[in-house]
Amino acid sequence: MTATTWEDAPAVTTRRHRAPLARLLSSELRWIFRRPRTLVVLALLAIFPVIIGISVQLGTDGQPETSGDAPLFVSAITNALALPLGSLMMLLGLFLPLAVAMAGADAIAGEQSVGALRGWLLAPVVRGRLLGVKVFGVAVVAVVSAGLVALTGLVTGLIINGTDGLFTLSGTELSLVDALGRIGLAVAWVALQLLAVGAVALAISTTTEHPMLVVAMVLGGLIVSQVLGLFDALSWLHPFLLPDPWVSALPDLLRDPIAYDTLGEGALRAVSYLVIALSLAYARIVTRDG
Amino acid sequence: MQPRTKGLVAAVTGAALGVTGLALVAMPAGADDAPNLPEISAQELVSSTLQADPPAFAGSVAVHNDLGLPSGVPGMDFADFDSARVFHDGDDGFRVSVQDGNAEYTLVANGDEAWAYNSSDNTATRFAAPDGDKTREQERAKGHHKGQRPEEMADPATAAQEIVQRLSETSTITVDGTARVADRAAYELVLTPKPSERTVLREVKVAIDSQTRLPLRLEVMANGTPEPIFSLGFDEFSVGEQPERLFDFTPPKGVKIEDATDKARERAEQAPAQGEKDAAERFGESLQVVGEGWDTVVTGAAGEELLSARPQMQDGERGMSERDKQSAKDLLERYGKRVSGEFGSGYVITTKAGSGLITDDGRFAVGAVPVQVLEQALTK
Repeated sequence: MTATTWEDAPAVTTRRHRAPLARLLSSELRWIFRRPRTLVVLALLAIFPVIIGISVQLGTDGQPETSGDAPLFVSAITNALALPLGSLMMLLGLFLPLAVAMAGADAIAGEQSVGALRGWLLAPVVRGRLLGVKVFGVAVVAVVSAGLVALTGLVTGLIINGTDGLFTLSGTELSLVDALGRIGLAVAWVALQLLAVGAVALAISTTTEHPMLVVAMVLGGLIVSQVLGLFDALSWLHPFLLPDPWVSALPDLLRDPIAYDTLGEGALRAVSYLVIALSLAYARIVTRDG
Repeated sequence: MQPRTKGLVAAVTGAALGVTGLALVAMPAGADDAPNLPEISAQELVSSTLQADPPAFAGSVAVHNDLGLPSGVPGMDFADFDSARVFHDGDDGFRVSVQDGNAEYTLVANGDEAWAYNSSDNTATRFAAPDGDKTREQERAKGHHKGQRPEEMADPATAAQEIVQRLSETSTITVDGTARVADRAAYELVLTPKPSERTVLREVKVAIDSQTRLPLRLEVMANGTPEPIFSLGFDEFSVGEQPERLFDFTPPKGVKIEDATDKARERAEQAPAQGEKDAAERFGESLQVVGEGWDTVVTGAAGEELLSARPQMQDGERGMSERDKQSAKDLLERYGKRVSGEFGSGYVITTKAGSGLITDDGRFAVGAVPVQVLEQALTK
């Protein structure tokens, strides 16, 4: 970056006018969704539930498997509700965080490394607003990727089994509307978790010019957290780890009535991470030279 | 404001807020001080508990067990579920969902019938209450309230007196202060063995809700550990109307349906082999109770051949793990301690909650007592 900073820019232009927010947001989305890597990751995310659905259907010949390691998928073969939720649960381990970590890495570190952030000089934008637009972009990626997985999972489940057998782990039958509501809740919850991951990625992103470093640090941190979560001796630490409820919370949406405890705790934890990461990112971005 | 101060303020407030949020998640709930409740005698407490009519409530139950059972022994994971949710409609209906990993076992009952649904094998089992309506009508005709059994239970005060008396032969019963269980004020009813009792248990505590008089928590304490070795209790409990649909069960399409009565009949029809029958009879007859109160010991004879028997492989069952192939003797050798004395010789397994002794000729003794008491019981 040159000595001309974003902060100086408004003073240079003769007539100070702010770039319209809608235009900023839409151009941010164009940036994100035109990147081939974003599209490739989204496509892979979309295919995954289809692969699970077909392979479970073929592998079990439509008969319930009685001695599987994944009881959630035992009912998946007859259940268009379990397939989207199960896919979200499996992908939340690594692949979904990868998608948002990439978006967060590209948003600031990536654009800076290719000099694209200089474009913001032409449309004068204060730094807080810049961060706001970037958070919006990451949030959209989080919602789209979680929604895409749920959508293809739902469609696959409906194609294989129709609306029959939408029942919960408690053995109660659900109407399609009720099932859709639960899937929507799952998407919202997963998107919130992903947004927390994305916020951490943004915070790291403000400190470096190397997007690869951001992705590596975020995924490395996730893997370390998940490994730490395996040790009972560290149980005092577990409530502070973001991925702690990721495996256990989503099946709760398959119970009747829904058990909100783990989901609520997970949401509160994600919001805490979000607040910490965004405030650090803001602090870094307003004090950064150039 | 200078960018630097602005940034600093944002970083500090944001981090403080976030850390507070995380701490909220991490904090164990219900760690309040013991509530202040009016004094009550043990007998009054027991009597009011017997009289209590459970209201409609919803709650969740957690089990913690630190019995010190040897891990890896098959059949020892019975109390090893994550948590359970309980709903009660204040009348005949109740619903229990036991959560075990990603599976769930649900039991629904509503006076007319009961269903159990197991999500891991997708089976619903129906338990018909054959004379359920009849008995209830009879009860109603007699004017009995729920929670009271006829005859001696008719008067809770007398029943409580009897129970307290019977227990106080071997234990000291006290109301030892109060506790907060699932954020509700509760009395702690404590049973302590009399000094003459030879047991490894220190005391048994029952927390009884001060309002509804329902037992909220059971804790078993052993000598030498401050933490309970076993506790079963509510960690959430709220009184209030529950939605009707929770107490109805209609098996969804695609679920295997079994009838418990049919199953029992089938089992009865498949007469067991003569050898098995003999063994079962001998086993049943040989069971004996030695001692009373806290140092009760159950003794019996399992037969010598049971020790060396190895589980047979079922047809079509592949890949039995090494653990499953071990005979009982192998397991004892691994987890037990070799002892010998007047009673003969055998293996002893000690846990925090008691001990078990099994001799080489297949006699055994189990109790919440030290090993010496078991040895004496077997010598008799």
